[in-house]
Amino acid sequence: MITIACYNLKGGVGKTASAVNLAYLAAQGGASTLVWDLDPQGAASFYFRIKPRIKGGTSGLFQRKRELDAVIKATDYPRLDLIPADFSYRNMDLLLEQQRKPGTRLRKLIKPLRSEYHFLFLDCPPSISLVSENIFAASDVLLVPTIPTTLSLRTLQQLVEFCDTEQYRHLKVIPFFSMVDRRKNLHREIVDQRDGVLKNAPLNYIPYASEVEQMGVRRAPVDTYAHASWAARAYREMWLELQPTLLALNRGGWQPQPARR
Amino acid sequence: MQKSLIYTLFRNDNLTRWRDRLRAEAGLVANPVEHLQIVYYDSFDWRLYAAGKTLTEVRSADGVELRLLRLVDQGIEAVVPVDMTAQRFFPSGLPVGELRQQLESLLEMRALLPLATLRVRRYTLHEEDREGKTRARVHLEAVSLVDASGKRRLLQKRLCLQPLRGYTRIAQGIGKKLEQDYRLQKVEDELYRQALAAAGKQPGDYSDKLDIQLQGDMRADAAVRQVLLTLFAVMQANEAGTIADLDSEFLHDFRVAVRRTRSALGELKHVFPPSTRQRFKREFAWLGALTGNVRDLDVYLLKFDAYRAAIPARLRNDLEPLRTFLQYKQRQEQSQQLAVQLRGRRYRKLKQQWQRYLESPLAKRPTARDAARPVDKVAHERTWRMYKRALKEGMAITADSPPTELHELRKSCKKLRYLMEFFQSLYPPGKIRASIKELKQLQDNLGDFQDLDVQISSLRHFAMEMRRRGEYSVATGKAMDALLTALDTHLHQARDEFESRFARFAGDSNQAHFKSLFHPAEDGGAA
Repeated sequence: MITIACYNLKGGVGKTASAVNLAYLAAQGGASTLVWDLDPQGAASFYFRIKPRIKGGTSGLFQRKRELDAVIKATDYPRLDLIPADFSYRNMDLLLEQQRKPGTRLRKLIKPLRSEYHFLFLDCPPSISLVSENIFAASDVLLVPTIPTTLSLRTLQQLVEFCDTEQYRHLKVIPFFSMVDRRKNLHREIVDQRDGVLKNAPLNYIPYASEVEQMGVRRAPVDTYAHASWAARAYREMWLELQPTLLALNRGGWQPQPARR
Repeated sequence: MQKSLIYTLFRNDNLTRWRDRLRAEAGLVANPVEHLQIVYYDSFDWRLYAAGKTLTEVRSADGVELRLLRLVDQGIEAVVPVDMTAQRFFPSGLPVGELRQQLESLLEMRALLPLATLRVRRYTLHEEDREGKTRARVHLEAVSLVDASGKRRLLQKRLCLQPLRGYTRIAQGIGKKLEQDYRLQKVEDELYRQALAAAGKQPGDYSDKLDIQLQGDMRADAAVRQVLLTLFAVMQANEAGTIADLDSEFLHDFRVAVRRTRSALGELKHVFPPSTRQRFKREFAWLGALTGNVRDLDVYLLKFDAYRAAIPARLRNDLEPLRTFLQYKQRQEQSQQLAVQLRGRRYRKLKQQWQRYLESPLAKRPTARDAARPVDKVAHERTWRMYKRALKEGMAITADSPPTELHELRKSCKKLRYLMEFFQSLYPPGKIRASIKELKQLQDNLGDFQDLDVQISSLRHFAMEMRRRGEYSVATGKAMDALLTALDTHLHQARDEFESRFARFAGDSNQAHFKSLFHPAEDGGAA
């Protein structure tokens, strides 16, 4: 199983949209895929029309009263499942504090899922806390959607530095441009220059597009209702571009498969 | 995905009426009708079936998908979307991924061939909550078999209830309604079996292993005919695939059947009338020679990846012109020689006459010495004789012996192996299998040695031919020299290993074992 966290310190940068759309493409390509909506706001659960509630709440999971396996819900799409959000996730930091080895609880929790899924996408809450440390420890890839603005780049720089320690050496940080508005000079400049921490970022970027915003109304991945749109194509291209990196991780039996055209 | 529950419907049930009924009475939401095409695939020798699997190609409005299924519960092991429609294909042509990996390890060099084609008319209904989230699905399906001429025949109508993870209670509720209100019967998913039966396919009906059941007191000529008829059936089963070159193993199995036939004609000679034997020996020798070239080329191509691996990485790509050359030669030999001859008069006549002979009534007073004797006596004698010959030949081999002597021993071992396999059913199963295994150890070594010896001289020959055709660059020359050096090293390793392998084969305990099987008379005093 490859664990991909869609993460950014900042909110509203397209984390959930990326997690939902890329996970959908992974499943379409033949991989069994799980999304864990870790954000108490429950946006990913909303997109999949699944109630943002898990039985027993967060404490039930941490106290091993309920296996993660039991709270998984099928989405409407083949091979794509979801662990819904729960409002109690907002207290996850506190609950983690009370655990032994609080920094790797999440990793331990998802371990039994390894043989069942090819991909686990973590849709992360925007913060840097014990929860995010758990996410870093549990993930193979940190996908960081980044809006091309000066402040965003600064935040990204901070994140890259934070992850550049012995503890997170296993973690592959992949920032990519999100919500790009080519009408804005600054966006254009930053995307075209691809300086510093974004030097090796994917060439594809996700545009600022109404099709993506429509997800809130349609409550479905972009590809299902706007397959031919620029945004849907951008996600497909992005997923394809990520394949060699994922393959190089060499996790289990999985090898990349092309998304359906 | 959760396992679907299958309910049978009557053949004359109207699916749209069912759809309307479930919509009205069970509160399900109906979706537009879909048309699917499902093709089952396996290799000619049923390798997927033997592993408890099958491959399906599912074509719908969304595209084409290959699914590897477990036969026991129709669960999906791996899926890959594809865009091809080939009638025959190899896993190596599929997109890199889990499905391909699994298929490659199960199938090796064998091609996937279509077994049965189904058309499915499908109405899907789903149960949804207030948010519009689907919590269970119901498929109403009319499944038809499409025969070779494109005609459809209705196989079954069925209802599939698909529970969704995390919402299984909803499906349970629907299932209860189906069983109680509509009196529907839950059944096992028999589609694979049904589809294949309707298409006239019997899973596992071909294997390259010989399984001939004989009785010891049968007349030798009758028993040997039974052996030969089995081999003839193998030849014929592989004929079309050999001519069409579907994959390399059709020819391989065809050739093995021919070689076994020749071996029977040669080693059981006193069972046949001499003139008949001479005639068929000559004709089968022709067939053996005819198929030899293409098989050799097939072997080089099958080994090509190993060839690449045997030389330094930087030279590997320079070896590719050799592959192209081998492929070209293989195609040429296959299509211009082998396929032409197998469609020709001489082969057709051989088949007719062979069949007529094998099915002719047995002579009341046969002239051939062994014909009317009990087969077990003949089997003991001939096998024992061949075993002694192999021992003698092997004992005479020293470190300085020329390769031809090992080659002779290899041929004797092969003949011995064939005799043991023909008459396997006359011996205690465990014992005969153990001795075949011992023999195989030696054969593998002799086979390696011989193959390498032949390959080295063939490759030298190919190098000259490639040079003549202008396909031999300096770089390719270097790569081929490296390959020849590597093969030569393997050759010496095989030669060095011979002594210990043979010592084991000729060891006292093994000799006693062979003697107890094939020459028990001396100790027992009977017969």
